[in-house]
Amino acid sequence: MATTIADITITSNDLLSDELSLSTSSTLTTAGSATGVTGTSGLGRKTVAGAHGQYTLFDGSDYTADKAHKIYLKNTSTTAAEYFLITVNAEDVGRLYAGDWAFFPWSAHDNDCDIKIDPSANDMTLEYMLLTDD
Amino acid sequence: MATTATITLESLDIAGDPVNVSKTTTCTKAGTTTDLDQTTGLNRVHLRSTTNKVLLAANAEGNDLSAKVYIINKATDPTLYCTITINAQTVGKLYAGDWMFIPWSQTDTSASIEIAATNWTASTGDIPVEYALFHEDTDFLTNA
Repeated sequence: MATTIADITITSNDLLSDELSLSTSSTLTTAGSATGVTGTSGLGRKTVAGAHGQYTLFDGSDYTADKAHKIYLKNTSTTAAEYFLITVNAEDVGRLYAGDWAFFPWSAHDNDCDIKIDPSANDMTLEYMLLTDD
Repeated sequence: MATTATITLESLDIAGDPVNVSKTTTCTKAGTTTDLDQTTGLNRVHLRSTTNKVLLAANAEGNDLSAKVYIINKATDPTLYCTITINAQTVGKLYAGDWMFIPWSQTDTSASIEIAATNWTASTGDIPVEYALFHEDTDFLTNA
């Protein structure tokens, strides 16, 4: 059994009149158990080259449904206006702007539940990792 | 008004070589380097509804503005999970202790973030969930 830990820290000294400091650690487990997740895509890198368009990053039909998969994404661009639109089964989640990262569970609950990325400009690069519960 | 979010992903044994990812982002307004200046603060709810409830209501004025959502399932029973949906599309299940941090574009007024304590029963007890929104839309009304 592997042990994989995901930590997040959110801080601000000036957003509020009091300091904001939030920190959480999670040990990633398979669905409904205390057993650690067992698979990973490794840290990958995808450049959507040339005329930009939507790209399927993870195909829902390739993964077991209703598991506790986790996805990490990072937009490596340094141009503030450049973003990747992230969708799940054609539903917009949000725009990942330059330097932003996201981390979220993915159920892959049916074959249409693809994770797609749509860059706002040509030749943008996304780093990604899938941690799987299969 | 810099707000930063840092993620660290670590594992010594999920692959043949260690995984160690650490990244920090400064939360900014859409397409700019201007810091986000609005937040709901950290909220806590106790879920007992097996059907979807609106956690964050999408707002037309927030369409394609920058917003970051943090949600954590604070349950300790590993079998208890919350299902997260956007516009009725399931994103994933947050099991006990799991957290998520995502951009949220509020593409239309149907794009609310909803949550359900899908396998809650009277005997499991409530599922405590904490969440926060960091955003730029000054028209956003918490718990609207």
